[in-house]
Amino acid sequence: MLQTLQSLAGFVVNIPILQEYGYRILLGIRMTLIVVSLSCTLGFVLGYFICLARMSRFRILSGFALAYITFFRGTPLLCQLYIVYYGSGDLRPQLQDLGLWTFFRDAFFCCILTFTMNTSAYQAEIFRGAIQSVSRGQSEAAKALGLNRIQTAGLVVMPQALLIALRPFGNELIGMIKASALAAIVTLLDLMGQTRFVFARTFDFSVYLYAALIYLTMVEIIRRIWDKLELRLSRHIRPRFEVLAKEEAKAITIETSMPST
Amino acid sequence: MVWYDLLFGPNGWSGLLLQGAAVTLALAVVTMPFGFTGGLIVALAKISASRTIRTFADAFTTFFRGIPDLLALFIVYYGLQAIIDKITRLGLPHIELSAFTAGVIALAVVTAAYSSEVWVAALKAVPASQAEAGRSLGLGPKVIFLKIILPQMLRIAIPGLSNIWTILLKDTSLISTLAVLDLLRAAFTASQRTTRPLLFYSVAAAIYLIISIMATIVQAYLEKRMRKGIA
Amino acid sequence: MKKSKIWAALGLAMAGLLAGQADAKEWKTVRIGMDASYAPFESVDSKGEIVGFEVDYAKALCAKMKVTCTFQNQDWDGVIPALLGDKFDVIFSSMNITKARAEKVLFSDFYYATPPAFITTKGNKSDDISPAALKGKTIGTQSSTIHVNYLEKFYKDSEIKTYPTQDEANLDLANGRLDYVTADSIVLQEFVNTKGKDSTRFVALYARVPEIHGPGVGAAFRPSDTDLKDMFNKAIAEADADGTFKTLEKPYFSFDIRGK
Repeated sequence: MLQTLQSLAGFVVNIPILQEYGYRILLGIRMTLIVVSLSCTLGFVLGYFICLARMSRFRILSGFALAYITFFRGTPLLCQLYIVYYGSGDLRPQLQDLGLWTFFRDAFFCCILTFTMNTSAYQAEIFRGAIQSVSRGQSEAAKALGLNRIQTAGLVVMPQALLIALRPFGNELIGMIKASALAAIVTLLDLMGQTRFVFARTFDFSVYLYAALIYLTMVEIIRRIWDKLELRLSRHIRPRFEVLAKEEAKAITIETSMPST
Repeated sequence: MVWYDLLFGPNGWSGLLLQGAAVTLALAVVTMPFGFTGGLIVALAKISASRTIRTFADAFTTFFRGIPDLLALFIVYYGLQAIIDKITRLGLPHIELSAFTAGVIALAVVTAAYSSEVWVAALKAVPASQAEAGRSLGLGPKVIFLKIILPQMLRIAIPGLSNIWTILLKDTSLISTLAVLDLLRAAFTASQRTTRPLLFYSVAAAIYLIISIMATIVQAYLEKRMRKGIA
Repeated sequence: MKKSKIWAALGLAMAGLLAGQADAKEWKTVRIGMDASYAPFESVDSKGEIVGFEVDYAKALCAKMKVTCTFQNQDWDGVIPALLGDKFDVIFSSMNITKARAEKVLFSDFYYATPPAFITTKGNKSDDISPAALKGKTIGTQSSTIHVNYLEKFYKDSEIKTYPTQDEANLDLANGRLDYVTADSIVLQEFVNTKGKDSTRFVALYARVPEIHGPGVGAAFRPSDTDLKDMFNKAIAEADADGTFKTLEKPYFSFDIRGK
């Protein structure tokens, strides 16, 4: 019994491993944070334009956006990553002619490109859900006040939509942190990549548990920040907001923010 | 036509890809009932009167929703057999998990964590008066849950569950990095052997897409049927 | 009434399981795990079967031990956890015997030993593989291998990239993402002669460093399965004595890989 407890304790805290490889793990965390923040920001911008295309009156444009969204949400991220990383190798002569090969040669850029495209598809749907959930009366009222279309969108619809979209966006960010672990498969030394490296050296399974705890901590921090953020940004319309928008946000959460794997 | 030979020629890879697609579908279909039922149990635990049970259920979902699915599968996949061995060594017969079974269990655990949130939302959406009405008719708690609450919950939960199904389908691809020859692993193998990754990964993506789109059609049909009773 | 029937049925099933398991430890079947992305030693063909020299050799050993063998494909990074997690009984996958691994698993005697090598792109004309010459170059290899350890130790000024399978590293050299790849010479020769013949070329062999590369390739077992290890060692010796090894390696290799 005592022995079991001891081995269990040794399993949980393995100081020599932390001493020898702690720096690598820190580097991994840094890489994960860089990849996630870059792709989520780029994906936010790209997602907005895709949402506009999706809601456009031009059939071709909205059809293209729908196809884009369906593809990136309907296939595994790992498969998309393989297509971009190893598929681009297939097209190397063509890409070299276009001068794009230096970009695709780098695993880091391949990951950023894939993750950005993937998350933009999800974020586009979050935008759309949020914009549609702002009641029509709001834009009609703005029109009656003499605001033009850009003013209506920028001053009336968007602030409300973004508030509703806040939670699903947070969930997408969390999804991206988790999904970014796939980058390790194409040689990027992110947290998962460094963990695999340490495991290969030590054959000690507990490094995977450390990695799990670190991911968990990152996710929890984001969750807490988001709770605070939501509370703060919505204080002008509480308690009405809590009743109304929370239901609405929940509906969108369920609808659009599946973790992107 | 090089690509035609690569796929359908005498040594073509289409057979392996289809076989892989069958494994992918089988993994997802077999996992689904376990994952969803598990999720429902976790959801019930989350609203349980006992604080200990609630804490356990919350810890379970926080853990599995907070770590990468790849890592979760890794931990369950490799860790589970070790745990089972520790238990069976106490005198029970040795239980052996095949790669497929281990994959199903690992996916079911993750699916249960995801779907429990959907179930909780659905549980809360059914008004308490429904259960009260059942009690006043003299029905037992089991009957009330199965005949009154669950059918109403299902209707609310279907869009959410259908999203979880898509996640599950895509998560099966992570099993490919462990051992199982699923669709993505088949494409991986074919592209390594032929050095034509673009072709095979695109074919794999197309098959995933077809399965996902079929699922949305089924979902629309189910929602329509469920709505019949209340329209 | 109904419930008691179910329990009775469950009890019977359990008893059946117990009876079935009782003699399982006599090794009637042995499950072999391998990372089948290492042609010509082991790879998956278009039928989904695992084929290669180590498959043929393992089958011959199993025939000598009078056990039935099954083969499983397993990702290399997870091959030791899978063995320890009882997913299969033996790793038979060109695993070199090293000190770090021997702390976790039990090794048989080695059954082949070949030198490692470097390959590079066609465009690269230099045959110098000294660490100084490869300074600043990108070198790829499979993760969790002796080759990573070798690179980490001697090629500190090069950029090292590791891949889940050797095939992926080779492919990335052909794609031009890497300047060099190092691994076992036979596996690299196979790649350069076949899939990589338009874009890659063989550079040079180099000597095994005993404290990194170990004596050679062995089968790996769970530490508790010493009986299985002894069975394999006996079969390996028999296969050497009666010429089985020599016969089996002929179709695959132009020279003897057994090593001393």
